[in-house]
Amino acid sequence: MAMTATAAPGERVARRRNAAFAWTLPALVLILLFFVTPVLGLMLRSVTEPTLGLQNYAELIGTGTYARIFANTFLVAGVVTALSVVIGYPVAWALAVLPRPWGQLVFAIIILSMWTNLLARTYAWMVLLQRTGVINKTLIGLGVIDKPLALVNNLVGVTIGMTYIMLPFVILPLVGVIRAIDPAILRAGALCGANSWQCFTRILLPLSLPGVAAGALMVFVMALGYYVTPALLGGTANMMLAEMVAQFVQSLVNWGMGGAAAFVLLVVTLALYAAQLRFFGTRRIG
Amino acid sequence: MTSAFIEIRDIKKHYGPITAVKDVTLDIRKGEFMTFLGPSGSGKSTTLYMLAGFEYPTAGDIKLNGRTLLDTPSHKRNIGMVFQRYTLFPHLTVGENVAFPLRIRRMPKADVERKVKEALRLVRLEGFEDRKPALMSGGQQQRVALARALVYDPPVLLMDEPLSALDKKLREEIQFEIRRIHQETGVTILYVTHDQEEALRLSDRIAVFSQGKIDQIGSGQTLYAEPATRFVAGFIGDSNFIDTDVVSVEGSHATLALPGGKLVSGVPLHSAGPGKTAALLLRPERIDIRAADGGPDGALKGTIRDITFLGNNTDVLVEIPAGKQLSVRIPFGHPMLGGLKPALPVALSFNPETVHAFQG
Repeated sequence: MAMTATAAPGERVARRRNAAFAWTLPALVLILLFFVTPVLGLMLRSVTEPTLGLQNYAELIGTGTYARIFANTFLVAGVVTALSVVIGYPVAWALAVLPRPWGQLVFAIIILSMWTNLLARTYAWMVLLQRTGVINKTLIGLGVIDKPLALVNNLVGVTIGMTYIMLPFVILPLVGVIRAIDPAILRAGALCGANSWQCFTRILLPLSLPGVAAGALMVFVMALGYYVTPALLGGTANMMLAEMVAQFVQSLVNWGMGGAAAFVLLVVTLALYAAQLRFFGTRRIG
Repeated sequence: MTSAFIEIRDIKKHYGPITAVKDVTLDIRKGEFMTFLGPSGSGKSTTLYMLAGFEYPTAGDIKLNGRTLLDTPSHKRNIGMVFQRYTLFPHLTVGENVAFPLRIRRMPKADVERKVKEALRLVRLEGFEDRKPALMSGGQQQRVALARALVYDPPVLLMDEPLSALDKKLREEIQFEIRRIHQETGVTILYVTHDQEEALRLSDRIAVFSQGKIDQIGSGQTLYAEPATRFVAGFIGDSNFIDTDVVSVEGSHATLALPGGKLVSGVPLHSAGPGKTAALLLRPERIDIRAADGGPDGALKGTIRDITFLGNNTDVLVEIPAGKQLSVRIPFGHPMLGGLKPALPVALSFNPETVHAFQG
């Protein structure tokens, strides 16, 4: 009697858990079918086409042109990440401390820009940055420069356009992290003798570092694989990784090389994610 | 001219149409333990924040050692502060937290180490240097905060309800520690609390705040025995108030008509207005109670409604005419207690010299 009484609830819990698992099955099948299989397929093609072996990877690493594309990609992603953090941090801080209506207004502007079509925004930058665009005209009009600057069809244009697009991805996670920091902690810092700069570098920044890391990682990873903006604002001479993959697959129909390039990108991304988890994953704020 | 260490002169603080501090003037002596006591919204914390430099007064001046503090930003005031919430830097260890103000001041490394050790010994947390604040109890965190606020030997220590997040037993333990630290260091302490018991236990003097101004400043004993306003009388200690009619006024004393018709004369009267009524303060332990079976009449007649034994005291709840209930406190073993039981008619009396009336 006692035995069945104690066993029954346990069994019931287990049965309920199985039932819950059954509900997740369609989603799991979907993920397996449309996410895991293609990645594995691509990886397989990268080591089997045209023949079995690592020749595709050897060619990627060994060829100067491809190496330059990798270098371009990491350089642009790095600069975009750095700029996004440098510009985004003060904005996030302002959003966190601004009185409500103002904070909400800035927040709305950021969200609206995010919701605007990506192509529209990228073309807008093209218009702004071109030789006869508003920026060059203004600078010439002010007498800052004599000849228009080459702001588009090169990596400068790509960097400007991508920084603009990536900013919200730094700002939004940072706002939450900064809001969670008790202002009384900064007041305590001030009474301890720390001026505003010292309060920032020694208290606010270290406490918000997990947010900075999360935002920076997201931006860096997205920037590494970004296609539309580099394709429109970049030049043919300075390709980025996603453009190269597209070219391999679309123009050259070389699935082996395309797969290899995509797989390298995936491995780098996973490595960065692992590093972020390692350094910031377990840390909690407050 | 004055020998005051801290002079607060006619300070006001308005937030738009809201007045947080109306008009506060206060002198604090060097080494004094001064408590700002009052309910929330009475302006006590705002006054403290103006001393810390987090708020700027709308009018008035605050001087430390004869020099105005108002032109100095918080980080240059060299004042220590312990906050209501836990404000240790969570990314630093206990040792690094206490060392923080010294490192900001670029003190040599060896001195920093010595001072941190001393400060942690003062709050009895030696050996906790490498602990992270998150792994410590609330009481320990506030003691570290105290060490951090004292490590640079500030002339003034501000404390903004530092114990309100702690449970009663721990609170009393740390109150004792704060007293000891005050005596050992001789630092001038300004302490904000809404807990009258805490204020009485810690302070040399208490400033009672009410609605943005100070009602009375004095030692705990003075505030209890000689309250200047009805608010102070009600806020410090337990109190009964009964409504009386003012029959006549003789200087600072009055003759009052009690409920039931009896007259008492020679009651100290504190006038806040020309009203015909006055609230009479009767401390529960100052009322004599006796069964109303013959013998001389008391000042008030009533009926016992409830008797509560509280160990060292017994509280007797007595209903007097007009439905008002008074609490009478009798020490353990007192002969007055004999024979008291619920529903018993009783006579209450008191010495008019030791009570106070507040004319409204």
